[in-house]
Parts: sequence; structure tokens; C-alpha cells
Amino acid sequence: MVSEEEISNVAKLMKIDLEDHSSHIKRVQKMLEYFDILDRANVESEEITVQETDLDKLRDDKYVPYDKDLLKFLKSYQEKYVKAPKLN
Amino acid sequence: MDLGISALNYVSGIKNNEFTVEEFISKSLERINEVDKNLHAFLQINDVAIKNAKEIDAKIKSNQDVGKCYGMPISVKDNICISGSKTTCASKVLENFIAPHTSTVVSKLSSEDAIMIGKTNLDEFAMGLSTEFSAYGPSKNPWNTDCVPGGSSGGSGVSVAANECIASLGSDTGGSIRNPASFCSIVGLKPTYGLVSRYGLVSYANSIEQIGPMTKTVKDSAFLLNIISGIDPNDNTTLDNKDQDYLSNIDEGVSGKKIGVVTEMTNPDGLSTDVLNATNDAIKTFEKLGANCEHVSLQMVPYTVAAYYTITSTEAGSNLARYDNVRYGYEMDSSGFEFNSYISQARSKFGPEVIRRMILGGFVPSAGHAGKYFLKALKVKSKLITEIKHVFEKFDFLISPTVPIQPFKFGEKINDPVSFMMVDMNTVTANLTGIPAISVPYKITNGLPIGIQIMANHLEENSLLQAAYALEKTVDLPEVSI
Amino acid sequence: MTKIGLEIHCQLTKLESKLFCSCRADYREFQPNTNICPVCMGIPGSLPLLNKSAVEKATLIAMALDCNTPSKIAFFRKNYFYPDLPKNFQITQLNAYGNTSIGWEGKISVGDAKIRIRRIQLEEDPGRIIYEGATEKTKLTLVDYNRAGTPLVEIVTEPDFENPHQVREFLIILSDLLENLNVSDPGLEGAMRADANVSIEGGSKVEIKNIGSFHDLEKAVHFEITRQESLAEREIEIVQETRHWDDGRKITVSARTKEEEAEYRYHLEADIPWIRINDDTKNQLQVHMPESISSKKERYVSKYGITPQVAGILSSDRYFSELFENAKNETNAKDVANMITTDIMGLLDTREKRDSSKLNAEHLSALIESIKSSKITRTSAKLALDEIIKNGKPLQQIIDSLDLGHVSDEGELTNVITQILKEEAKAVEDAKQNPEIVNFLVGKVMQKTQGKADPELTLTLLKKSLAIG
Repeated sequence: MVSEEEISNVAKLMKIDLEDHSSHIKRVQKMLEYFDILDRANVESEEITVQETDLDKLRDDKYVPYDKDLLKFLKSYQEKYVKAPKLN
Repeated sequence: MDLGISALNYVSGIKNNEFTVEEFISKSLERINEVDKNLHAFLQINDVAIKNAKEIDAKIKSNQDVGKCYGMPISVKDNICISGSKTTCASKVLENFIAPHTSTVVSKLSSEDAIMIGKTNLDEFAMGLSTEFSAYGPSKNPWNTDCVPGGSSGGSGVSVAANECIASLGSDTGGSIRNPASFCSIVGLKPTYGLVSRYGLVSYANSIEQIGPMTKTVKDSAFLLNIISGIDPNDNTTLDNKDQDYLSNIDEGVSGKKIGVVTEMTNPDGLSTDVLNATNDAIKTFEKLGANCEHVSLQMVPYTVAAYYTITSTEAGSNLARYDNVRYGYEMDSSGFEFNSYISQARSKFGPEVIRRMILGGFVPSAGHAGKYFLKALKVKSKLITEIKHVFEKFDFLISPTVPIQPFKFGEKINDPVSFMMVDMNTVTANLTGIPAISVPYKITNGLPIGIQIMANHLEENSLLQAAYALEKTVDLPEVSI
Repeated sequence: MTKIGLEIHCQLTKLESKLFCSCRADYREFQPNTNICPVCMGIPGSLPLLNKSAVEKATLIAMALDCNTPSKIAFFRKNYFYPDLPKNFQITQLNAYGNTSIGWEGKISVGDAKIRIRRIQLEEDPGRIIYEGATEKTKLTLVDYNRAGTPLVEIVTEPDFENPHQVREFLIILSDLLENLNVSDPGLEGAMRADANVSIEGGSKVEIKNIGSFHDLEKAVHFEITRQESLAEREIEIVQETRHWDDGRKITVSARTKEEEAEYRYHLEADIPWIRINDDTKNQLQVHMPESISSKKERYVSKYGITPQVAGILSSDRYFSELFENAKNETNAKDVANMITTDIMGLLDTREKRDSSKLNAEHLSALIESIKSSKITRTSAKLALDEIIKNGKPLQQIIDSLDLGHVSDEGELTNVITQILKEEAKAVEDAKQNPEIVNFLVGKVMQKTQGKADPELTLTLLKKSLAIG
């Protein structure tokens, strides 16, 4: 069983405030416990496969200015800068 | 005027002057007004729909070129962006988010003169299978309003089933089109990964999800797929389908086709008796139609739900990281907060399921645990792809019930996470392997629908729709009464 | 033994557009947050669209650094929360499922040393954080996202450097190489940045981040070695850590990064399929690869007889070597090279001057031709150069308008000489005793003709008039 402490640490890493959310921990534990089934799949030797495409299918390098003032869609800004909380 | 007509009948109705676009749209809006207080399929209604209708009527009157959709009302799941309007993903986090861009699917439909009648409800960020995780309250199943409509595209399913619109666009990450299609007794198609552009779809698990049609008939799904499919310069993962017409030879039938019944998806232990009976009945139907059915095993299937949740949580953990309430989001004073505490506070607006997926998504791919969870999940996916490849060397289609159970009551499953996950057992295979799959309404038992799922090989939508149409023709289901 | 390794971030400033969207790759001219779009801002529903030329240019770098290049490249997400990252992840590369980064295992010679390149990867630059007020007292952070998504190539070396001097040598060679490949303009502010890791004998590895310029990199490495050596002398343990370069105080300070920040949850970026790069493509790139600086230098020396010193200067500068290549022919190469290194480089010694210069190769070859055929003097040629750089008019027009034409008309010149001989009576007397004084008189003639007089003819005529020689 993955410990509560471990789950709390991950929540912190994911910027999720778990105060008053102890029920989540139990539920995540149960889900992780179910994931143990993966150990029985016997897939160690498998290669990971992914979608592929050719280089010439990619976008040409061309500058096309965006036609809207995106800043107006953004939430909070000061003059022309986006405002974020202080870093430390 | 019958609001319950198919898209194709709508088009001929307009062409034969049986009704105008404006008449149909205003009737549809009345219908929404009447039933949606109870059903809650919609999160928003397009307030210029009547104006759009009038414009299209004017074009029709003056014999101008009119797009293939002739103003038909189509609803759009609220994780698909339309420029200038809200896209909430049924989350409080995006309550005020106005999209600056329009998704390719909506652009394509609009250029064919479809009217986007409104945005439909879903589980928050499409994580769920009942709409119970919508931050704005669940949608209700029109067959029995005590039951869930399925999800995550539950609002879309309800809107079509309850005749609030002609068709809908949903998104399917692990069954989110097919599950509500099955629960609401409509047709739902998840196309091959890459057949339909995801540009403008808010990502949840971008390696496996697709937008697809949810319609009253199989032909309607083919009709909409004709419009929304194809390569898109705005999505590097799209495939070229050479403008294939999915409608032209849809009545080809299944005579002589080989159909595999997936053993692991028809296991009596996991299926309700009614669903099992309906499935066996469907097998017989296919045989009567001249197909050859036999059981086939996909050994990876028992591991797919765990693999699916591992992969989707990982991708969701990354895709939803941007919701830090800095660039967009809701009003929250940042003064006094340090960056990390601010965004942690802001992100606590996520609903419970999203919070759990974020934690899982932080855990399963982390350096210490990726080997046990995430890498194994990717390998299950790879092995499943190999299995599927082999199976389609022998079979034309695979079938199963879309969902192992019938629509359940609100609150019935939500407290047991594992049995909740199991509801996805039959649908996630198509997502993990990228193949197309469709749910076709097959039975109404105890007043609740059962759908049959058909899967085909990559980019075989054409034959998939033929098989679905053949099955659909054999059934005569009652209309929902609401 | 001291070991130094580098991580160099180089913007592909020669591209028009960003790595995953069509915003401008060079963001420098823009007002804050005006070079942004839904893709580089990570607006929900947007998808990254990979820039083909970025892949090609990055591959060129890998080839030029003697790296292995893959048959398929893959992109990964590096997940961490920071205000300059619009998506709170960075799209980058990683060799997790086989070698799928732009290049790996390369090398470059620095003097007698071989520096091994561990890996080269293509990735997006984050936005820029503009603090308000002093860091300690900041109440909020201000961000400009114009830079977010700028194509960046990260070059990771093995810890093969032994001293700061080698580091500097390497950086000069590398910036010349990148400029020569026409992928980047290392002179642009922020176009090249680097992190370093430094360890001395018996000590742990210390990473130094946040170094703003190459100039500071050498200083930072030097400081760090001194710091570690003084710790070692006092037998204080050197701990493994990340330190930041404090630009103001010119010292490194501990960054005190928390353990949790090292968890990046790398996974594949599914919005970008793996890109096949077949041998044809690689061959094409190889064929069109600009000639390397060293082979250029060799060619200049052996083919045109240019001195190694001049050839070295010329070949390592893309702008001037291009000018040289276009202006030179079988007979004038040496003169062209000399004029570039002695005159033009001085006139165009800044990026601004180069950018506004109207001088082209035709001007240059015409100029050399005119000197050789005695149409103008070298002195006049300099005046003409000034004008050409300013207005770019054809040489002949400039000669005409400034009246720089060579005075080789004997009659006209004789008149001038007669005048000079009158004015400089004393020098004329002296010259009869001391033939060296003749040169003074030649100078006077030149002065009077504003440098236009044919020097040889002047000398002959003077000697004739003075009846000497």
C-alpha cells in the first residue's frame, strides 16, 4: 500500500492543496492498489510504439502574426506584463 | 413538426419546404427551455441561434449556395472551443474562460451551415462516465431521470436523445462518446486516432482522445464524419483520409464478414445478465445477416483499465498543469501569496475526481514509480496494439457490449472507485490502440438502453459504419418519452 | 583534477517563427506580450505545430559537432510549475526510449583538447520574468511571454574542460560555428546562455545556473573553482548543489533548491508524432551544410595565398567571409581579403553598422579593380568606402560625385606640381641635397589633389622637374 505521506507529498508537488481532503487519499490508495494488476501483464520486453510522421509534413518556417490582442483574453496584467504572485 | 428526426431527414425536410430553419431552431429552443431544466444537458445556449437561422433561411430563399447542414441544430460538448464564447469544461477553474479560437470541427460544421445550438454538460475536464463530476451538476438520463446518462459526454448524449437538437459533438478518451451513446440509446462514434482534428479540444489525455459524432442514426454519424474528418494543418497528429465518403456505400451489409466476439469483454462475471443476453442476441443477428461470428481473445484487455487510468492520469497531470490561475481563470487576489501557495490555493477549485487524477498523475510517472506504473502501462498499450493487429488479420470487426452494465442510479457507483473504473472495461481498448469504434443502440430492457459496440481496424470507418448500419436496420426501438 | 562541463542554450535566431507556432522567433523588437498566440501561451485547445526548419537547423548543428543523428526524433514534456512557463511544462527532448534527440555523442576540438558532446536537444525557451523592485521585497512577479516558444538548441558537453580558459576558447569556437552555420546570431542579447558544472579533485559536482552571458560564464567558472579550492584548503566539504550566478556581485550563491523540484514527470509529447528523418534528408542537409571555418581558412591560404592570420580572421566571421566569397575572383582575392581586414572590419565593427551598411560584393570588387587599374588611389578608395557604406550608390557614381577620379593626366598634374614647387621653395632646395625629401613633395601633391594623384606618375614628374633621380 502506498503510504498517505507519499500521496500527500505528490499532491504538494502537483500543487494540490489536500487540506480537508483526506477522503481523496484513501480513494487514490485504492486506485493505485488496483493498478498493481499491471505487474501481472508480463510486458517487460515490449517496445513502446508511437505515432510517426515525415519531416516534410511539418509546418514551414513562416512568421504569421497573431491577429488578436491576446493580452485582452488574459486575466490580470499590469501595463503590458502578466501579473503572477511573488516567487519567494 | 417532429424534432426527433434524423439529420438526413432534417435536410430533406428543409429542401422540401416542410419547415424553415427558423421554425426548427425556435422549436428546438422551446424544447430545450421545456425539458432542460430537468435534464440539464446544456451549460449554455447560443443566443444568436435564431439570427443564424434567419440568415440561412435567407440564403435558401434567394437560391444561394447553402452548406450541407442547412442550419441543423448541433450541440457541442463544452470542452470544444468556439471563439468568443465560454468553454468551461464543466469546471469552476474555467468558469470565465472565453476561447480566442474556434475548434476545427466547429469551423468545418459552421462552414456547412450547421448551427451550434449550445454547449453541453460533461464530467469536469471529461474525467468520468456519468456527468456526476460536472461542477455544474449532473445531466439526467431521459429514459429514467434517476439514472446517469453516461459520460463524460453525457450532456451531448442527453441533448440528442431528448430531441433538443439533431446531433452533437462529443469527445472520447476512454469511452466518453460511446458510453453515453449506449446509456441514452443513440449512436456514438469514436473515430481512428488522427482522423478528426483535435484543434480546439481542451486536452485531457491527448495521446488517445478523439472528437466524434453523437447522432440519432448511423447514417447521421457517417454524414457528420464526412464533414469533420481529414487532415488539419493545425493538428500534427491528423491523418489524410483522401476525402472519403462514408455515406455512399453504407448499405453494403456484413454478409461474408468475419466478426470476433471479444471474450474478455463478454465475460459473464463482469456483465449484467441483461447486457449479456442482449449481446448474445446481437451475435445471432449478425449471423442472420450473413456474418460469421466467433469468439476471440485479447489477452491484454484485463490490464487495459489500469493502463488507461495510468496513462490518462499522467497526461492529465501535465495537460491540466496550466490551470494555475495566473494567465486565465477566476478572480483571486494574489497579493500576499507566494507563487506555489497561490496556485495550490487556486487549484483547489478543481473538483474531487480531477484532484484525484492530478495526484495519480503526479505519482505514476514519477522517477521512483514510473517503472512500476507508467512504463508498464505504455507496454500494455504496445502489446495490445500488436494483439489487435493480429486479430484484424483474421477478422473484419470486433464486437462487445459498449458498457458491461446498464445506466445506474446517481450515487450508486461513485463511492467505489474500482467498480467505477470497471465500467470503462470495453471501451478503453479502442482508445489505447487508436482504432475506430461505434456504439449502436440495440435494446431497451427494464426501460433502459443497451448499446452494442463494434470496432474495426485503423481507418476502416467505412466498413465500420456499414456493419453498424446493418445492425441498426434490424432493430426497432421505442422513442424516449419525455 | 578540475572538471568542468557545460550546458549551452542557443536560440535559433535565424528562424522566422517560433518552435511550435508562427509567432516571431526573434522577440526582441516587440512590446511586452505582443509576440504571443494561443499556442505559445498554452491556451486550452491549442496544439503545438513543429517548425520544420527548426529540426533541420538543429540537425545541422548536430552534424557540425560530429554527433550521431537519429532516424526518428521525439519530443517529451518536462513538467514543473513556474510563472514563465505558460503550460507549466516545457516541450523538450530526452533519450528515454532509444536515442531520439537531435544528436548525441559528438566532439569538438579546442586547441589540443577534445571536448565531447554528450547530447544536443531541441526545445522551447520559456518567457521572461521581469521582477518589480528588488527580489527580496517583491510583492508580485511580472512576466513577458514574447520569448516563450523561441526555438532553443541545448548542447550538453561531457565534463572535459580543465580550466576557464578552455571554456572561453570553446565558446568562441562554438559561437563562430553557429554563426557560420547561419542558424543563430550569437551576438544578440540572450541568444546564447550557459549553465556550468564544476568540480575539483575530491569534491562534489556543483551546478551554476543563471549565467547571463558568455563573458560571465568564464568569470563564474573561475569564481567557483576558487571558491571550491579555498573550501578544500580549509578542509570544508564541498556539497553537491545548484548555485546561481549573482550578476551584480559577480559571485555564485547557493540556490537552495528543494528535492521535490527535481521531479519532472517526463513523458512523451503526443501532440507531436515522432518525426522520421531519413538518410536522404540527412544527405541533403550535409550537401547544403556551409563549409566549416577550418576548411575555409585552409582554402583561403592554399588557394588564394592569403596569410594564415588574415585567413583566420576572415573565415571565422560569417558576414565578412561571405562578403569575401562574393567579391573575390581569381586575381583579386588577396586584395579583397586585405581590404576587408584592414579597412572594412574597422568601419563595420558593430552589428548596427553592419545592419545599416549598404556595401555589397560588387562595390568591393569594383573598388579593388579601380585601385589595380589606377583609376583611384587607396586613399580615395577609403573615402569611397565611407560613401558606399552610407548610401550604397555604384562606385563610379561615387567617384564622379566626390571627384575621386585619379589624376593621371600629365598636363593637369604638371600644373599642380609647378604650383607646389613654387610654394615649397625650401623643400625643393633641400630635395636637391636629400632625395628623400621628394616623398614630402609627393605628399603635398596628394594633399592638393585630395589623394587623387597617381602616386607613380607624380613621383616621375617631380623627379623630372627637380632634375634628380
